[in-house]
Amino acid sequence: MDPEAARSARESLDLAFHMSNILDTGLDRHTLSVLIALCDLDLNPEALAAVVKELRREPSPSSTMPTAPP
Amino acid sequence: MDEEDQTKLIDLVKELVNRLLAESPQQQNPKNPNFEASLRYAVRILSSRLTPSIAPDAAAIAESIKRRLATQGRSSDALTFSDLFTKFSAKTGTGSVNNKWAVVYLLKIISDDRKSSKNAVNSSNLLPNFGLDGHGFSNGSNVSNGKENKELGWRNNGVLMVSKDPENLREIAFKEFVNVVKEENEVSEEVIVRDVLYCCQGIDGRYVKFDASVDGYVLLHSVKVPRATRIMVRKLCELGWLFRKVKGYVSESMDRFPAEDVGTVGQAFCAALQDELLEYYKLLAVLEAQAMNPIPLVSESANAGNYLSLRRLSVWFAEPMVKMRLMAVLVDKCRVLRGGAMAGAIHLHAQHGDVLVHEFMTRLLKRVCSPLFEMVRSWVLEGELEDIFAEFFVVGQPVKAESLWREGYRLHSGMLPSFISQSLAQRILRTGKSINFLRVCCDDRGWADAATESAAAAGTTTRRGGLGYGETDALESLVIEAAKRIDKHLLDVIYKRYKFKEHCLAIKRYLLLGQGDFVQYLMDIVGPELSEPANTISSFKLAGLLESAIRSSNAQYDDPDILDRLRVKLMPHGTGDRGWDVFSLDYDARVPLDTLFTESVMARYLKIFNFLWKLRRVEHALIGAWKTMKPNCITSHLFTKLQHAVKLQLLSTLRRCQVLWDEMNHFVTNLQYYIMFEVLEVSWSNFSNEMEVAKDLDDLLAAHEKYLYSIFEKSLLGERSQSLYKSLFLLFDLILQFRSHADRLYEGIFELQSRTMESSLSSRDKSKSRRQTKDKSSEPGSWLSDGRKALTQRAGEFLRNMEQELDAIAKEYKSLLEGFLAQLPVQQHVDLKFLLFRLDFTEFYSQLRPNV
Repeated sequence: MDPEAARSARESLDLAFHMSNILDTGLDRHTLSVLIALCDLDLNPEALAAVVKELRREPSPSSTMPTAPP
Repeated sequence: MDEEDQTKLIDLVKELVNRLLAESPQQQNPKNPNFEASLRYAVRILSSRLTPSIAPDAAAIAESIKRRLATQGRSSDALTFSDLFTKFSAKTGTGSVNNKWAVVYLLKIISDDRKSSKNAVNSSNLLPNFGLDGHGFSNGSNVSNGKENKELGWRNNGVLMVSKDPENLREIAFKEFVNVVKEENEVSEEVIVRDVLYCCQGIDGRYVKFDASVDGYVLLHSVKVPRATRIMVRKLCELGWLFRKVKGYVSESMDRFPAEDVGTVGQAFCAALQDELLEYYKLLAVLEAQAMNPIPLVSESANAGNYLSLRRLSVWFAEPMVKMRLMAVLVDKCRVLRGGAMAGAIHLHAQHGDVLVHEFMTRLLKRVCSPLFEMVRSWVLEGELEDIFAEFFVVGQPVKAESLWREGYRLHSGMLPSFISQSLAQRILRTGKSINFLRVCCDDRGWADAATESAAAAGTTTRRGGLGYGETDALESLVIEAAKRIDKHLLDVIYKRYKFKEHCLAIKRYLLLGQGDFVQYLMDIVGPELSEPANTISSFKLAGLLESAIRSSNAQYDDPDILDRLRVKLMPHGTGDRGWDVFSLDYDARVPLDTLFTESVMARYLKIFNFLWKLRRVEHALIGAWKTMKPNCITSHLFTKLQHAVKLQLLSTLRRCQVLWDEMNHFVTNLQYYIMFEVLEVSWSNFSNEMEVAKDLDDLLAAHEKYLYSIFEKSLLGERSQSLYKSLFLLFDLILQFRSHADRLYEGIFELQSRTMESSLSSRDKSKSRRQTKDKSSEPGSWLSDGRKALTQRAGEFLRNMEQELDAIAKEYKSLLEGFLAQLPVQQHVDLKFLLFRLDFTEFYSQLRPNV
């Protein structure tokens, strides 16, 4: 990755992070970068959002467990 | 997806799950047993939703976020966000984010979810926290049955927790529903919504197109959608059909305008319609902008459709639909109408109980009627008929000055809108007519002051374009003020400057023979002339005689202007007419008074004049007869010289003559008294009173008309008393005949007397007398007398003849008079009863004929 692309990627990440903060998503920078990478892989953003919500909301891990299919 | 991507994806998901779990305070340990489960769960979620539910449009999402921030009162954040977004989307090239809309959308959903979960946490003291209450999740076998769990939830808490539905039963059901919908609908709803929006602007959409065969917009048959959707689209697209109609009318009218006369009202109507369409365009634009925004849903089911569904659209369209329908109805109605008729037709639609409709119509009418009201204003205040398209309810015709008032302008009832009452329209008509009359006929400029004054009095509403529909009161007050002043001014001009009253009086005095001495002189002077055959009479000579009659009577002190107008007029005559039959006086009423004294009015005056003139002539003749008849020395002297038999005969003849004269005189005098006093003076007095109270020229005209009519009716000139009038003229003729007989009688008597003298002389001077009689004898038919005996014989014969003739006249007179008197009570007019009473005061005639 050339320095130009890296700089551009960082700036994009900065901007996205800024927006994320304004929207009060509660995502940290790293998570956001992972999510952006996933988006770039053409994953459905709705599904990603669902994952974020499901995994984050449960204060205790066990709460998600019963929902797992047998 | 190739292998590399696949592994990258797995890594990333792992990382993500790790990060997310790491956020929770208890989940520090990556070796957490839950990690595997969470990872599986995440993968399952990710694989379950392969395509996003909305169209990829980063700008629309950003717009929606911005708007939400703004509505939450965080406008500075909104600005910052839009700034960031612009920068973000400007980043292109390697290293930048490719799938920008996905990122933004992701952020938005996360933010939304967080907000809703925060709310849930905030309210957790109210809602049971399923996770903490220890039921049914630690031992999965227990709660594998979702229904049981749900019932448990119901039992335990009395609250159904949909979001916590452990098996996502509802969500699964909803997803199934979505799938079914997707299967049924070949095209998604938002596409149809977009098409419907297009159709409502009169443009064919991709799937919804105009079908000429059904005359409406329909969803293409090739597209597979449920019947309900099809019907709904059809219903919604009615708006498009209506829009096409209205739009078509407007553009058609606009195209026609320079070539054909659409009319100012029609143009105003088009303009008003266009304004309404503008409102409609605005609404459509807003709807279109909204169409892309998703509905903010509380439910986390991610399949929140776009803001606009067909159902929402039908709600949005409810009001414009009503308006558009109204406009379409109006357009249909008004296609053939113009001007006032158009305004009237629209006004009929404004009488509506629905407030929405009423307000809409009032707004429209205000625009439509403004040219009409402007016309009324300028007509009432300036007398200008600014009506190039013949839309006004007052129509002008080019006429001569004297008929300007009567025929120059009239109401066009077809153009009279129903919100202007007939009486108001009449008043409007008259006010403008008065102004024009003043301007054209009276050559007067004073009306302008009156108009300005009335405009000031009516208040500020009179400025140009100040009047509008719905302000009929203001219009009425303006018209009333203007009418009051203009009419007053007009009457002032007519009375003071053109001396209408004086002229009326002059007509009464000269044409209706009110000025006794003048009539007497005239009768004396023109009498001999008029006895000639009509074709030998020169009107110039008569004019000269008229002049001398004026100069020798009190009429000479009258206004010279009035005397100038008095002329002699000879009627068209046939063979055998005498001068008496064709002579009449005429009065030259010039502009503007010829509006009042029109030709027909003058013809009636002439008819009255002829009648009165005849009456006067008869009276004059009777008086002339009296002059010869009155007892004098000649006749009394004769008696002494005559033989007894002849003397008796003479006496009886004379007596008969006197009685007949007396009877005739009684009739004529009473008739004349009745005409002069009970008809002319009473009518004149009424007319004077009405002239005083007359408020406008129409009143004056009506009063004058009434005056003439009453004279006409009462003097037996009317249609209904034709037979009476005829018998009256027969009586007159008979009286004139009587006069000539009486003249002959007295002539004979005078001659007889002179013979008697002569014979008495001749007895004294026989030789002289004889020579004289010899000369006389050569003349045939003369009073040839050889002696006293022959003379007496001649006298007896003459007197017998005369007596017979007088008898015949008396008999005819009696029968005629009886006929006249018998007809008199049959007349409708109450005043004629007085005439009868007067004639039959001593009940002489009624006793003669007891059957009456």
